[in-house]
Amino acid sequence: MLVADVMTRQVVAIGPDTPIRDVQALMEQRNIRHFPILEGRAAPGQPDALVGIVSDRDVRLVGADHPKAPAGVRSSDPISRLMVTDVVTAHPGDPIEETAKAMRTRKIGAMPVMDEGSLVGIVTAADLLDALVKMSGVEQASARLEVEVANRPGALAELLGLIADRRVNVVSVMTTRGDAETVSFVLRVSTVDAHGLARHLRRAGVTVAWPPEKQAVP
Amino acid sequence: MTGAPVRFVFDPELAAFQLTPEHPFKPVRYELVRTLLLAAGVLTADEVVAPTPVGDDDLLTIHDADYVEMVRAASDPARRPPDVELQRYGLATSDNPVFPRMHELVRGVVAATVTAVELVATGRALRASSFAGGLHHAMRDKASGFCVYNDLAVAMRRAVDVHGMRVAYVDVDAHHGDGVQWLFYDDPNVLTISLHESGRYLFPGTGFTYETGNGRGRGTAVNMPLEPFTDDDSFVDAYEAVVPAAVERFAPDLIVLQAGADMHHRDPLANLNLSLAGMTHAYTRTVELADRHAGGRLVVTGGGGYDPYRTVPRAWSLAWSALSGRELPGELPASWRAGWTQRLGVELPATFDDPAPPPVPRRAAIASRNRSVADRLMAQLADIWGVTLQP
Repeated sequence: MLVADVMTRQVVAIGPDTPIRDVQALMEQRNIRHFPILEGRAAPGQPDALVGIVSDRDVRLVGADHPKAPAGVRSSDPISRLMVTDVVTAHPGDPIEETAKAMRTRKIGAMPVMDEGSLVGIVTAADLLDALVKMSGVEQASARLEVEVANRPGALAELLGLIADRRVNVVSVMTTRGDAETVSFVLRVSTVDAHGLARHLRRAGVTVAWPPEKQAVP
Repeated sequence: MTGAPVRFVFDPELAAFQLTPEHPFKPVRYELVRTLLLAAGVLTADEVVAPTPVGDDDLLTIHDADYVEMVRAASDPARRPPDVELQRYGLATSDNPVFPRMHELVRGVVAATVTAVELVATGRALRASSFAGGLHHAMRDKASGFCVYNDLAVAMRRAVDVHGMRVAYVDVDAHHGDGVQWLFYDDPNVLTISLHESGRYLFPGTGFTYETGNGRGRGTAVNMPLEPFTDDDSFVDAYEAVVPAAVERFAPDLIVLQAGADMHHRDPLANLNLSLAGMTHAYTRTVELADRHAGGRLVVTGGGGYDPYRTVPRAWSLAWSALSGRELPGELPASWRAGWTQRLGVELPATFDDPAPPPVPRRAAIASRNRSVADRLMAQLADIWGVTLQP
């Protein structure tokens, strides 16, 4: 899944001269937490340049009785006094796991999405959580199957072959953890009889963590 | 025979087919139940009634025309479509293999449940059973989870549209009653309540507390997901926390109980740890709720149940006992056991007494988690319903 699949395309951006109190009002009205700040470029036909970003937290600290409140900044000052200018941006073609990792290492909650110098969207931590829900979610009726296979070429293909033998469709596959020897997968499989499928896999030597072992009835 | 006027809807044809020989869904269960009830003296021959046939137009009150046409085509060896086409409709899979006369036979299951509902809706019986019914996974446009046509939905649709009833559906199958839920998700006249092993672990992967209905049907879908290895006590606790309050508030004219028997610890497809005692609690309490809130009107169907010889006949006999108000003997009739043991080659239990399985080590944690899910569910529903529920 790519940033383009999860980002918000209707971005509310502001100019660097906007007074801080107007930004605060806009945040509350529109229920938005991050504003990219754009400045017009001198040359006509050029896209506006991204010059900064500001979060609700930065804005709320203005005038607050808080050790991290910015000294000497008043709410009538322009937002340029408050904005972060070293902006971490994403590209629409970035994989979302890379974006998630960047947000965690830089401890930020949103990234403007830039394509060829133009602002085309914004991606937030909430968008990435939504993507996680979607990726792990159930779009078709299916059961959970958790397996461990050898960490070598072809091991997953063999597993999927064993599942196909039973005429069972695989709805989703997730890697949960792995080491040098083994890799664990959680699959959603479209069958009520996950125990029957698990017996079939165990007989073929696959380690099945879920469903638990259970006897077949006569 | 004492007790309320009751009917057992049955057709030998419904018990005489197989999906495939090794398929876990075994229609012979219905014949096992019928013969056990007759032998135990809690059912008379004149209470067994044949289903009134339904037509394809009845199926079309619930299912899409192209899906019904696909099932018809698949049922005819001369014009069976290729597997890739069938699989788009959930057919020709391990769960839903194509079998001879599929369309006709499953339409017969629909007829049985429609007949049970008609008997009760028109007052010809106070309560009725359709143990061949309970195909709760079937969707508007596809087969799923051993279910081709949704008999429950067709029958409930008719109760609402023809008889003007409000219907409360209670599903105690180990699997979430997804087909029925989605088919009535926007409908304020049908309350669906499902208790099931959590979709995190078990097919079909849905039935979470946040699925509460939509639009005018908001607040009319109720889901109580249970932890794997839930036992009798915790199940009873969850049932009591959820079902009576939801049924009372909804005030139905009819209750339909899907009595899938796969919550039992011996069931090979699910992972719950109930005995017949816990399951019987759901049967007797649902009958009481029908008496209290629905003029006694109740239809009981089958559903899952993949320990078909030892567990299912006893479970559904206990459901029939609750429905009819007739007490079963402690022991299963010797003649019944001898006949079926010979026919099936399986040793059958001697008594209805069913010792609980040994408790699992995580028992207390499981009960506590179920309790907190039930509390959260009821708080959320109270919010939607705009009422204060008694703790």
